[in-house]
Amino acid sequence: MTLRFPFPVRSPLRPDLASSLHRRLSIPSRSSSSPTPLLSSDHRPPLFLRPPAFAASRTDLHDFRRWAESLALAAGPRLSASDGGPDAALLRRELAWLVEDATVAAASESGVGEELRLRVELEELYRLWRARIEERRPFQYIVGCEHWRDLVLVVKEGVLIPRPETEMVVDLVAEVEGFEKGLWADLGTGSGAIAVGIGRMLQEGGRVFATDLSPVALEVARLNVERYELKDKIELRRGSWFEPLRDVEGKLMGLLSNPPYIPSSHIPGLQAEVGQHEPKLALDGGEDGMDHLLHLCEGSASALKSGGFFAFETNGDEQSEFIVDLMSMKLGNFFHNIKMISDFAGIQRFVTGFRR
Amino acid sequence: MNFRGHCYGLVLRSFRYLPFPLPLWSQSMARALLRWASFTSLETSSRLPFIQLPRTLNPRATSLAFSSSSAAAASSNYIHLSDEQLMAQCDMDTFKSSGPGGQHRNKRESAVRLSHRPTGIVAQAVEERSQHKNRAMALTRLRILLALKVRKAIDLDGYTPPSELLQILPAKSTIRGKDVGPQIGPNNPKFALGMQALLDLIFAVEGSVSETAKMLGLSTGALSRLILSDDSLRVTVNELRTSKGMRPLR
Ligand SMILES: C[S@@+](CC[C@H](N)C(=O)[O-])C[C@H]1O[C@@H](n2cnc3c(N)ncnc32)[C@H](O)[C@@H]1O
Repeated sequence: MTLRFPFPVRSPLRPDLASSLHRRLSIPSRSSSSPTPLLSSDHRPPLFLRPPAFAASRTDLHDFRRWAESLALAAGPRLSASDGGPDAALLRRELAWLVEDATVAAASESGVGEELRLRVELEELYRLWRARIEERRPFQYIVGCEHWRDLVLVVKEGVLIPRPETEMVVDLVAEVEGFEKGLWADLGTGSGAIAVGIGRMLQEGGRVFATDLSPVALEVARLNVERYELKDKIELRRGSWFEPLRDVEGKLMGLLSNPPYIPSSHIPGLQAEVGQHEPKLALDGGEDGMDHLLHLCEGSASALKSGGFFAFETNGDEQSEFIVDLMSMKLGNFFHNIKMISDFAGIQRFVTGFRR
Repeated sequence: MNFRGHCYGLVLRSFRYLPFPLPLWSQSMARALLRWASFTSLETSSRLPFIQLPRTLNPRATSLAFSSSSAAAASSNYIHLSDEQLMAQCDMDTFKSSGPGGQHRNKRESAVRLSHRPTGIVAQAVEERSQHKNRAMALTRLRILLALKVRKAIDLDGYTPPSELLQILPAKSTIRGKDVGPQIGPNNPKFALGMQALLDLIFAVEGSVSETAKMLGLSTGALSRLILSDDSLRVTVNELRTSKGMRPLR
């Protein structure tokens, strides 16, 4: 079956599609505070891993692109002006990535002549893109993955989409002498991004304990650990912060965490992709955003072995300064060489240091 | 068709008014654009601003790029540096530095801009899906830009083309020995090295294609075809020729 959408480019809305969309998906309202309810598509693998079981003509795909592009161009300025959402240029890149994930790259497999092989039905592509624009569903949840460093990590509703800033944590670890053979902990691992990034660099004897309170996060992290064949390097544990690590207390060479650090009062004003779709548990850091960070700082002294390293991501300059102050003054007996490291936008994003 | 023209305009415009020095287009970016075959015909896309000097070249960079002093000669080996060495000469940042970033944002900060301190040349990448990959892409682009923009003075008396230049020449060149190996095309990362040496020579003879061809053992036509095979190379040669009052190659 081939679907055609011969409507003019300037009126991208198609009532029958829109209503079928409403039937199929539950749409979070602006005021709803919980993340999007799990969709049926959540139990399916990410787009790029699905078999290319569908077909469409090149013309059909071309028409989809034109339609989607016009939707992006029309919505971009409004979204970026309203809450700092995606602009048209970013949406167009996302569209290119969506098509990349939905089609088969290798020419030999992609079908001959006019036929293209797809990993979803063409009709579903229209629905997905409409959800992207109209519901502000994050692109990464739509395709079910995020490219992070040189990894492709599975993500889905219920787990935080790893951020580009956090990519640097892996580089910070790689600078620690002898890191390859140590015991590491990634607290609040989410999709497992940091743990997988580190796990791949470890050698004999090196190990990462990746913990989270959220069962969904651990389920997704497990997928990623398995996909990168790191089951023997990364151990997933459920529990709150240091709780699941009692047995390795004082033995850790490194503690890494990107804990929730957004002040509660900022949550309602977040861009819709984040505030309405990503889990609150992964974002909300309490009144000043520092609840979890402070807990981590205090627990580090007993968790780390002597000479052990820590790196925490923060909300930026203010939080980082506060933590540097705390670690070098109040906790100065335990820690030394405390540093702030800025991200590539020039924001003091990380605090690192060593256990005495 | 109208939509096509409309879109082309948008592509141009959206890059023209970016609030930072203009992106420096490389072929791969152009190729990425070409994959949007539905919107840009070959004809229009070849008029996209593939390569431009950053608007704010520092004065030192200008002299580096266009003088023939020995200082320039010494520093023209940037593209022979390893990735790490070249990165060490760069400031890296992301474009969107407004706002708190981090957990507040969905994917805005993965674009990367590299500013090469010694020359002031800026290369950036936005279209890759992770910051890591954008950085690698920006570095590749920086190498191409360095090859295009940084000139080394050469002594025409007793000139012998370096091996990296021989490698990009077609097999029919009479000065190209058999041991040089197969011809390297614009898609090969090593092409930038040969391109730099070729441009050094073309600049030394002030844009004359026939003279350059003679020195490389090629017919003028064969050399023209080589120059035209790469958009950024063609644009650079034609800029030089136009500035000397010569007809651009086409
Ligand atoms: C900002 S996300 C970071 C996820 C991942 N490390 C990353 O960088 O993409 C914070 C993570 O902390 C987890 N978390 C929240 N409270 C926690 C707690 N009390 N104990 C352990 N993990 C917790 C959340 O479920 C979430 O996965």
